[in-house]
Amino acid sequence: MTITEKIVSRASGRNVAAGDFLEVLPLDHVYLNEVIAPPALIGFERDFGSTFSGLGKELRVFDSSRVTFFPDHTVPSSSEKVSEGISMMKRFSASQGIRMLKQGDGIEHTVASENGTVRPGDIVVATDSHTCTQGALGALAFGIGTKEAEYALANGELYSFTVPQTIRFDISGRPGRGVYAKDIILHILGMMGEGGCSGRIAEFGGSCVSEMDMDGRFTMCNLCVEMGARSGMVEPDGRTVEYTREAVASAGGEWSEADASRVMRSDEGASYEQVREIDAASIEPTVSLPHSPANARPVGEVDEEIDTVFIGSCANARRDDLTEVARILKGRKVHPGVNLIVIPASRRIYNWALETGIMSVLAEAGANIESSNCGPCFGKHMGVLAEGQKCLSTSNRNYRGRMGSEKAFVYLSSPATAAASAVEGRIADPRKYVGAGA
Amino acid sequence: MMLGGTAVRKFGENINTDYIISADLLQESWDADFFAKHAFEKYDQEFVGRCAGRKDNVVVAGSNFGCGSSREQAVHAIRNNGVVFVIAQSYPDIFYRNAINNGLVVAKSDTTGMREGDRIEIDTASGVARNITAGTETPLLNSPSDLRRFETRDTLEYVRGRLRERLSAKSE
Repeated sequence: MTITEKIVSRASGRNVAAGDFLEVLPLDHVYLNEVIAPPALIGFERDFGSTFSGLGKELRVFDSSRVTFFPDHTVPSSSEKVSEGISMMKRFSASQGIRMLKQGDGIEHTVASENGTVRPGDIVVATDSHTCTQGALGALAFGIGTKEAEYALANGELYSFTVPQTIRFDISGRPGRGVYAKDIILHILGMMGEGGCSGRIAEFGGSCVSEMDMDGRFTMCNLCVEMGARSGMVEPDGRTVEYTREAVASAGGEWSEADASRVMRSDEGASYEQVREIDAASIEPTVSLPHSPANARPVGEVDEEIDTVFIGSCANARRDDLTEVARILKGRKVHPGVNLIVIPASRRIYNWALETGIMSVLAEAGANIESSNCGPCFGKHMGVLAEGQKCLSTSNRNYRGRMGSEKAFVYLSSPATAAASAVEGRIADPRKYVGAGA
Repeated sequence: MMLGGTAVRKFGENINTDYIISADLLQESWDADFFAKHAFEKYDQEFVGRCAGRKDNVVVAGSNFGCGSSREQAVHAIRNNGVVFVIAQSYPDIFYRNAINNGLVVAKSDTTGMREGDRIEIDTASGVARNITAGTETPLLNSPSDLRRFETRDTLEYVRGRLRERLSAKSE
């Protein structure tokens, strides 16, 4: 069995295989951001209010301890309407006893992993397509829309679920200098195309992934939806367990035997729809050109001046990422023609960057550092692009118009490539800035 | 169930939900009609005008229609422009599920022979799509259970039933 089949079998109480249909899939956790929570909460009351009152019950979510709210997309609030939505979330969460984080606590997918909300073997849904990030923990995690969020709040269930097939990516070899998880996943997107993994789980394994830190695994899983994958998946190992143990402890919780029993791996001889073999040593620093994340090229083939660099988002703004950025920016200045925006993915990472001195390095180089949120990734605030502007971003989408004007151009890369490019004012090869063994 | 209309627009492959409804608008309204007014604003400025005043618009597309973000507003943006159904080669999961949950019929079929202006019909009972203008017929590739869900256009009643069961069981 694949890990996906095992997780669904555990949750549904019967052995399932890819292709099997389940009318009901029980969920371990549901989280909502401030983009979708307001319409979902209105819908929850509208669609289920009479069902509760008809039975003489008060309107309640299925289990308030298994729901979390994250105001994370455009905070501090970018408009009156955003503030109105956040106020609604506050009222609702207070009345239901739901945990709600604060503006600036960080991006949902980053925070949900670093505080132990999501654990290996969990089945999780959230109102954002990048929920697939949690696959890095060996959890089964899906993005959902507004209606399915209402349904999940009502019963803690997802409906009409077909167990997905899995495409296994066996990644061997050691990545070269200046090559990171982001380069590997952009390379894979280039190989598969925007719909190449449609409806499938993208499971990553092999020696390269075993040796990869958790931050890199989160990046790999984060971008799976850009090739249409239902989710990403990395089988949990020692690193995963150590990471989650610390995460759970940091929130005052305890890693239990039940948690340990949910750490599952795919069996030898598990049935995969496809197995793709990739040699990480052959991958170069990679950039995706406008206007598709799958439009990937080796950095050497790209010759482009840029005026904006964004280092942030749920794809790439964790500790390992900021460490590499600081390594490159230390003692250097951002190019006079470049606006560099850096947004640590969570408050914990932000405060850690302060303590370690990384923040000073960034500030002295001339970066604009913002409090944790999604930032300019989707073109609403903190660096909206105008016609003709060219931005190199560490986020996950470079669609036409994604970061502002439909006549702007967005390129995607690793944080190291972004930092090197911020210094040079053009898309630059990071290998001349980083030593061996990066 | 038979549905028919005129292909008001034919899109290519990989039309993402950012193209359908721009992300910067998502937090500015909780009203489906607001999103309909801004449908395809950055990608196809003619779309809303072409749909205006008609209730039988059909959107034709290539593969992977609705990829990217999970925003359900993309479904509202299309549905509330008088779109009777979308017909595309394929859809990614989130958009497909969002469409079904909101009563937007998203037919899967070979769309290569369909052109803007063609009269297109789908028959969920016999599982075919007909291009009346071209005189051709292609099979619908949706699962039989999804074709049935297009007919009932209601996933909510089922979920309410689950909720009633859950609440009643708890009080016993």
